[in-house]
Amino acid sequence: MAISAGARFEAMDWPTVNTAARSELEDEALVHAAQGGDRAAFGLLYQRYVRMVHGVLLARVPSIAAEDLVHDVFLQALPRLASLRDCSRFGPWLAAIARNRATDFHRRAKSDSSIDDEPRGAENVESPQREVGVEDGIALLNAVRELPEAYREPLILRFVEGMSGPEIAARTGLTHGSVRVNLHRGMQMLREKWQQ
Amino acid sequence: MKNDYLWDGSGEPDPELQRIEKTLAKFGYAGEAPNFAALKAAPVKPSVFSALGSMWNLRFAAATVVVIALAASGFVLRNSISPVSNGPGWDVARLSGVPEVGQFALASDSRKTQLRVGQLLVTDSNSRASMTSAEVGEIYVDAGSRVRLIEAGLNRKRISLELGTIHAAIWAPPGEFVVDTPSASAVDLGCAYTLHVNEDGSGTLRTTRGWVGFHRDGHDSFIPAGAMCATRREQGPGTPYFEDASEEFRKALHGLDFETLSGEPRGQALRTVLAEARRRDAFTLWHLLSRVSDMERPLVYDRMAGLVQPPKGTTREGTLALEPKMLDAWWDAFDLGYISIWRFWEQQQAPQMMKKAAR
Repeated sequence: MAISAGARFEAMDWPTVNTAARSELEDEALVHAAQGGDRAAFGLLYQRYVRMVHGVLLARVPSIAAEDLVHDVFLQALPRLASLRDCSRFGPWLAAIARNRATDFHRRAKSDSSIDDEPRGAENVESPQREVGVEDGIALLNAVRELPEAYREPLILRFVEGMSGPEIAARTGLTHGSVRVNLHRGMQMLREKWQQ
Repeated sequence: MKNDYLWDGSGEPDPELQRIEKTLAKFGYAGEAPNFAALKAAPVKPSVFSALGSMWNLRFAAATVVVIALAASGFVLRNSISPVSNGPGWDVARLSGVPEVGQFALASDSRKTQLRVGQLLVTDSNSRASMTSAEVGEIYVDAGSRVRLIEAGLNRKRISLELGTIHAAIWAPPGEFVVDTPSASAVDLGCAYTLHVNEDGSGTLRTTRGWVGFHRDGHDSFIPAGAMCATRREQGPGTPYFEDASEEFRKALHGLDFETLSGEPRGQALRTVLAEARRRDAFTLWHLLSRVSDMERPLVYDRMAGLVQPPKGTTREGTLALEPKMLDAWWDAFDLGYISIWRFWEQQQAPQMMKKAAR
């Protein structure tokens, strides 16, 4: 069955046999199994990496687009998986596909497309001494998106997707040190920006 | 700030961070998983460049001899259709016109071939092509270009852009993918960029995402997203700069890089660069440190230190002496990419550089 972009997917129905055993497998083993055609293994990889992919997309495209593009990314990854020689690089490889897909989104979109989500309320985002994190989620999300790329992605993975620093490092392939520094500096910059 | 809580949620909870978590969590992914088990092999779609209307499939015609006439030039090509091989190479697809890979001409969208090591991809003034490698990334080749595949090893992929323009989106690990040009080599550090080479071997590199190292004989330029760098066959890579820098800044920088300025004209150019530099231009000044004279260097340093607070562990004297660890610390302070990635690549390249120098 060929799946085209934008197709609606049915709810997942995983086989129950060996599911618990599979869930204990390291990512590399799952990637290797998926390369051999094991779709259930790829499904487990989807479960483990979907938040990372969504977060990477959300750092670059409007939230409504990010939801749709998540499936595109995994559909692009599946036929290419056999060519991934180093299974330990699955996470960064997948993250790069997600970033490219976001770039492609902006190429396809009209020239006036914006990364920002539309604000719902009439809150005054210019007010001074504004505390970080008050009320306007969309304004806050947009503020994060205006940060340098190295900061916005880990902050979105941390605060939107609920991933911890170690989890962000494990999924994206970055070192703990890099993620920690980027979270810290990104948070500083966000605070300065929010208080302007 | 309570770092532990930001890092992994441990330690004493930070109320401000908790409010941010609560505010932003509603944007988290809530979709349903697709039924992967029901999928057959999905057709491979171009992603970055599909806006150009290029779609290809994996079927190939039986081998026949096809004569292709190029109406615009009256040039006739004879070719045989060769199937795509499973060996290392890049998949090449036609976007427009008739790109050529070796003796093979891609005359229709249904055909696809591979660019193998040593082979040349040529696009004329009416042709465009895309190159894809599942392990490396995607490259869009503009009209009037010549691209050769140099290396396709496990941890080292290399092409040469002899002429023309490519737009690259790379997902290979940083440092694995290199593009040689007549005047410098572009080392991917996790990025997307556009690289152009003129007939005389000069060129430009523009980074749109991540950053790129532009390199020749120990002369390095690092180009972050939003910045560009010119290169000349004789001089190698110039000083990179953000494209939104003022015209005066860019013009003066060009003078320092590529015009033989001396005396007062050179002094004026340097003063202009320093005066026009914004905080984000500090990375340009960092590059200038190793490119100006000993007498000029303190002026550059003082301006850079005025724009960006000197990082811990650095001193004015050490930086003026171009002490490598201090220069690296300065670079990391710009938050444009970790210099350790570049240093790791340099170490890997060291044996090859020595071999080249010995010849």
